[in-house]
Amino acid sequence: MNDFQFGRILAYWPDLLRGVGVTFQLGLISASLGLVLGLALALMKFSRHPLAYWPAYVYVEFFRTTPPLVQIVWLYYGLPLITGYDLGAFGSAAVALGLNIAAFYSEIFRAGLVGVHRTQWQASRVLGLGLIDTLRFVILPQAIRNVLPPMGTTTIYLIKDTALASAIGTPELLRIGQLISVETFRPVETLTIVALLYFTVTYPVALFVEWLERRFKVARA
Amino acid sequence: MDDSLIVIDNLVKRYGDHTILDNINLEVKTGQALVVIGPSGSGKSTLLRCIAALEPIQRGSIRIDGKLAAKGVENAGAQPDAASLRDLRQRIGMVFQQFNLFPHLTVLENITLAPRRVRGMKRDEADALATELLRTVGLEEKRDVHPERLSGGQQQRAAIARALAMRPKIMLFDEVTSALDPELVGEVLRTMRQLAEQGMTMLVVTHEMGFARDVADDVIFMDQGKIVERASPDVIFENPTEARTRAFLERLLDREGRRN
Repeated sequence: MNDFQFGRILAYWPDLLRGVGVTFQLGLISASLGLVLGLALALMKFSRHPLAYWPAYVYVEFFRTTPPLVQIVWLYYGLPLITGYDLGAFGSAAVALGLNIAAFYSEIFRAGLVGVHRTQWQASRVLGLGLIDTLRFVILPQAIRNVLPPMGTTTIYLIKDTALASAIGTPELLRIGQLISVETFRPVETLTIVALLYFTVTYPVALFVEWLERRFKVARA
Repeated sequence: MDDSLIVIDNLVKRYGDHTILDNINLEVKTGQALVVIGPSGSGKSTLLRCIAALEPIQRGSIRIDGKLAAKGVENAGAQPDAASLRDLRQRIGMVFQQFNLFPHLTVLENITLAPRRVRGMKRDEADALATELLRTVGLEEKRDVHPERLSGGQQQRAAIARALAMRPKIMLFDEVTSALDPELVGEVLRTMRQLAEQGMTMLVVTHEMGFARDVADDVIFMDQGKIVERASPDVIFENPTEARTRAFLERLLDREGRRN
């Protein structure tokens, strides 16, 4: 016999929905930040110039070898102490997660760029294409096909990692769930529903990446 | 003003301690079709790659149209600046052994990309140019397909059209038939022959001796990073001055004789 009481949890649906919204925004902002920064880091690591290569190298190794939770907490409590500038709970979490995921994205980008044969660079060069045009029209369209599957997986990890923002009180999905379970003394039902709601955010990402994969599926010579 | 398009002076190219090109001097005049032959490892392809500025050179200089295009990194004085290099590079078209078409673009897009991005050509203008070039290489009906749908010979002809779209003053051909099935070699050579007849200046690295004999104004024989001999095809193939040229051609003809 069971006395699960999902109804009591679902009565909190406006709060849960707000939590989904915050989780989604955290994911979107940190993923966007991570993609831009990750691409820049990947290109820097391609450079033979030590002032481009080494900062990127140190960045990537630092951010992927330390726990994102520590990075979030550090940015939330440490940054105001050092700079006097307070990003707030949501801002700290979004920036820390973005900085963190950039390290992982950059390694994926790098693998994708390496996967494009160097003769494609040479062909572009003898045609007189500049670096930006070569990347934009020749290299990245081919690299993107290689990087989409690991990008998708990493992004799903990122969305689940947004739950870490609960540690500094960001009102995202897990935090809302914690508050509800404290009020109702029903942690199992609450977390079950929270997990299902995470699924409603992450699964569309998986579908979106699959759709992109089909779209970018291009011929290989 | 003389009609020298490329002048190479005392070019030295090394990889580490290994000397690939050893004091090369070469002049190519406008309208000339030169064919470079020689054993593999003799530096033929590297020479083309140096001219196309895909490789830095250690010593000497390369002038294109009278302007400095490359200078040895060990020489004193300034290197040519990036803007003039880009400008000079547009005067050179290069075709590779492995075609190196862009696999994610159609044949038409392969050809129009550089004219549009580098020359700032309008789309319809570039499309018209590409269509015209595809007609000359006999691929009009393939303009909207991706390279993977083409045979090797068709891919190589598309690559030639792509290089021509930048209206180069000289075309460099780097063993462009070596990766092709034997029955596809002819169509690519025909296209190149047609170009030579139209007066295109060409520097061709090839193992196709028939092409060298028929099309070349001069044949250059290279061995161990040096130009051993430069002469008309008649002289090279019938009565070469240098013993090394003779030995190379005898080995080659012997091999071809046995194959036939």
